[in-house]
Amino acid sequence: MRAKLTIKSPGFARRVVLKALAGVALAPLVASVAFAQSATGEAPALADLVRAGQLPPVAERVGSEPEVITPLESVGSYGGEIRFGLRGSSDHNHILRMVGSQGLMRWNPTYTEVHPAVAKSVDVDPEGRIFTFHLREGMRWSDGEPFTADDIMFNVEDLLLNEDFAPTPPRYMSSGEPMTVEKVDDLTVRFTFQAPYGDFLSELASPLGQHPVLYAKHYCSQFHPDYNSDIEQTIRENNASDWQNLFLQKCGDIEIPSRWGNPERPTLDPWIVATPYSGGATRFVMERNPYFWQVDSEGNQLPYVDALNATISQDVESLILAAIGGRIDFGIRHLDTPADRPVLAQNREAGDYRFIAAAAPGGVDMIINLNLTHKDSELRDLFNERDFRIALSVGMDRQEIIETALLGEGEPWQHGPFEDHPYFHELLSTQYLEYDPETANDLLDGIGLDQRDADGMRLLPSGRPLTIRVDVIPTFRPQWPDMLQLIEQQWAQIGVRMEVNALERTLFFERTSNGNDHDAAVWAAIQSWVPGQVPQQIVPIHQDSRWGIPWVNWYNSGGSTGEEPPASVLERLRLYDLARGTPDPEERRQLIMQIADIAAGEFEVFGVSKSVPTYGIVKNGLKNVPEEVVNTFFATAPAQALPQSWYWQD
Amino acid sequence: MLLNYILRRILWAIPFFFAVSLIAFALISAPPGDYLTTFAATLAQSGDMVDQARLDALRERYGLDQPFLIKYWRWISGVIQGDFGISFEWQQPVSQLIGERMALSVTLALATLIFTWAVALPIGIYSAVRKYSVGDYVITAVGFIGLATPNFLVALVLMYIAVVHFGADVSGLFSPEYQDAPWSWAKLADLASHIWIPVIILGTSATASLVRIMRANLLDELHKPYVTTARAKGLSEFHLIMKYPVRLALNPFVSTIGWAFPQLISGAVITAFVLSLPTAGPMLLQALLAQDMYLAGAFILLLCCLSIVGMLVSDILLALIDPRIRYR
Repeated sequence: MRAKLTIKSPGFARRVVLKALAGVALAPLVASVAFAQSATGEAPALADLVRAGQLPPVAERVGSEPEVITPLESVGSYGGEIRFGLRGSSDHNHILRMVGSQGLMRWNPTYTEVHPAVAKSVDVDPEGRIFTFHLREGMRWSDGEPFTADDIMFNVEDLLLNEDFAPTPPRYMSSGEPMTVEKVDDLTVRFTFQAPYGDFLSELASPLGQHPVLYAKHYCSQFHPDYNSDIEQTIRENNASDWQNLFLQKCGDIEIPSRWGNPERPTLDPWIVATPYSGGATRFVMERNPYFWQVDSEGNQLPYVDALNATISQDVESLILAAIGGRIDFGIRHLDTPADRPVLAQNREAGDYRFIAAAAPGGVDMIINLNLTHKDSELRDLFNERDFRIALSVGMDRQEIIETALLGEGEPWQHGPFEDHPYFHELLSTQYLEYDPETANDLLDGIGLDQRDADGMRLLPSGRPLTIRVDVIPTFRPQWPDMLQLIEQQWAQIGVRMEVNALERTLFFERTSNGNDHDAAVWAAIQSWVPGQVPQQIVPIHQDSRWGIPWVNWYNSGGSTGEEPPASVLERLRLYDLARGTPDPEERRQLIMQIADIAAGEFEVFGVSKSVPTYGIVKNGLKNVPEEVVNTFFATAPAQALPQSWYWQD
Repeated sequence: MLLNYILRRILWAIPFFFAVSLIAFALISAPPGDYLTTFAATLAQSGDMVDQARLDALRERYGLDQPFLIKYWRWISGVIQGDFGISFEWQQPVSQLIGERMALSVTLALATLIFTWAVALPIGIYSAVRKYSVGDYVITAVGFIGLATPNFLVALVLMYIAVVHFGADVSGLFSPEYQDAPWSWAKLADLASHIWIPVIILGTSATASLVRIMRANLLDELHKPYVTTARAKGLSEFHLIMKYPVRLALNPFVSTIGWAFPQLISGAVITAFVLSLPTAGPMLLQALLAQDMYLAGAFILLLCCLSIVGMLVSDILLALIDPRIRYR
């Protein structure tokens, strides 16, 4: 089949993590700038402005300690634009993923280790409590103002730790206490935690950890009541409802659309907003940041490409048309569904593009969570029988599901990282995969489900018919309902009645994560458990841990709401807190493996098939784009491959 | 008498407006969840992660955990003062967001209306006068196809053909270089060169149905004795038909004006969505999908008001044309 892609196994994602952890290693950690290199090259348009006296020389703009990026293939040339396609609503994170999150730290292109990024280097004390960041001399915001420790202090003290603005995210807390931050000098900032917090650097590398360097003090402070004595006036002038609304409107936040709606806001991004992404916009354009703080290995200021240019389509179908028509230079998001692959493959020549692989970091595309905290006590008792869960797992013919619903792509898998990943846990991932209806029947008979109704379906001990309704959002992944319908038939063979309960997505969230009203639910579990990720299938800590929502609430509220979990879960929560704390990568891995040991023993959740790579399209002629990116939000994929270093070959 | 009638109708519109606003608000609050659950779901669908703590903070800030009546009161008291609230998604005042899009919506709706009438009326008349001729059959056949084909499907097919066979892009209302340019004659010309595609797509089914209505109305009139009398008196055929039966056949059209008003916004939402037109329809749909409560609420309220005003206008026009209505 021509449409078939050459997809390498997502192996390198696993080669990784030993190195990944090395990145989060002990102090002192000096990286990235082995030798200071001053900037010498710049885009022709900027050179003209410098000659005209409208812009300082490039060496002055990037400072004396720019980050040096070694391009993937070759040093590039300036010019051109990268076109991509945005959807009209709720697609702001697509921009984030193209531009990248310029945090203190960032993941390397292969999602294997974290590097200092905005920070020049970081020192960590042996205990993992004190993080000292050294900033880059002469680094500037996109409007030319210096970026200093004061900006970080503003971000942390006036916003992050300001309960009036928003509650402090747990990312910046340890053992319930927020971090403290002090300015050592203009270029040095020290973050201190109550308890050891080894995962902190990886948290900072995630797009959600950009807060300490998100806002430029000299601009955003005018929307803050502590700095603007006449804030009421400013609120009125901008039709805002209060200062928080005003602040979000002008300066945005990590994950809200207004981040890309204000061209005046200074940033540290390679490109700055020229045509904003706002309600009703039909186009979004970003242009080169003349003060961007990265250079290539020959001293040329990045980015190479002049602009990012996105057409905003209301309908995803028209994005596919744009790709076929050659009007998209790079795209993964919205284009990478199995259904669209043939039509995109067929038009490769017409659209003049090539495919790249978008690999999964690990885990499975669909995981089944029985509700172990079910409100109905009889079902709850049943679901908590390990043998019941084993019976359901071996009662699934995974190979048939893969052949039928997944077009042959996949491999039976429970969940968890793949084989060559340091976090690979063999027992957890591969136990009870074999299709064995006889064993399943024996197990079910053995736990008191030996009564059957006229149709041969099993009855609960109380005589009620046993029915498991599995909640699913059918629009989420089109293959989910197909897979579930096969499982429905397979479970019927062992006398277990299952109903596929297709729900509208908000109703799904209401019933499961908010209401705990579900029997069972399916979700994606694409994970490798490296620092920064949330391993919600082995320990209940997130709203996607639909196997024990009251336990999640208990953990996240510090015990004030929800339900106290059983001992095995409590132990895992304890180990998880320890793992997040330890600064030693090997020790962290050991702790997570202990959690996985317990999870494997309990066998709470089960999956069907390994997460398969999807694909992206890249216009021919666009260089320095890797053949494979690890498609994960935590690395802001594909921006961890540094689009600022991509260029057009003439 | 007429004035009295109009006044009475206007006064009735006021309580009606409040009733409608309550229903509108109840409707947008009806779906389970709120903007933030939808927000989280949309992001999760694209593989993004949502910061749970931030989400909870926002829910409190937006007052989404308040009871229904309090939310309604906050909203409607703002609306009366002209403040439609802030759009959750865009952090911008709702009135600003809607205002930007309405002008193009009205332009498109008017252009479509003119196109429809200009095409449908002559064809309808021809089709009635030359009943069961070859031309009538052709028109009827084409008309039924036009009626039966959903507009958005026509749009999709047209777009696909344009891209695959001609390498052209037919979506949008402007060329890229004019999209963000300020208004100028050149931009207007650019608009004119783009608008005919959506106008034709949007107009097909309306045209087809108008042709059928015109044909049926006119056929009713053509065989009435006054027509025969006029013909016997030697009036020219063209003059006769245009002056009497056509005028009477036009009457039912007037009452459709009431529906035409809300069509300015809600008309052809899906078609506009598919074609990525910068009109109000797609934004309405997005606001509803995203549960962007105040934005959706403002749109629905506007729709209701336009319906009320549209009905008022068509009632008044009918009263003007037909004295029997006035005196009842």
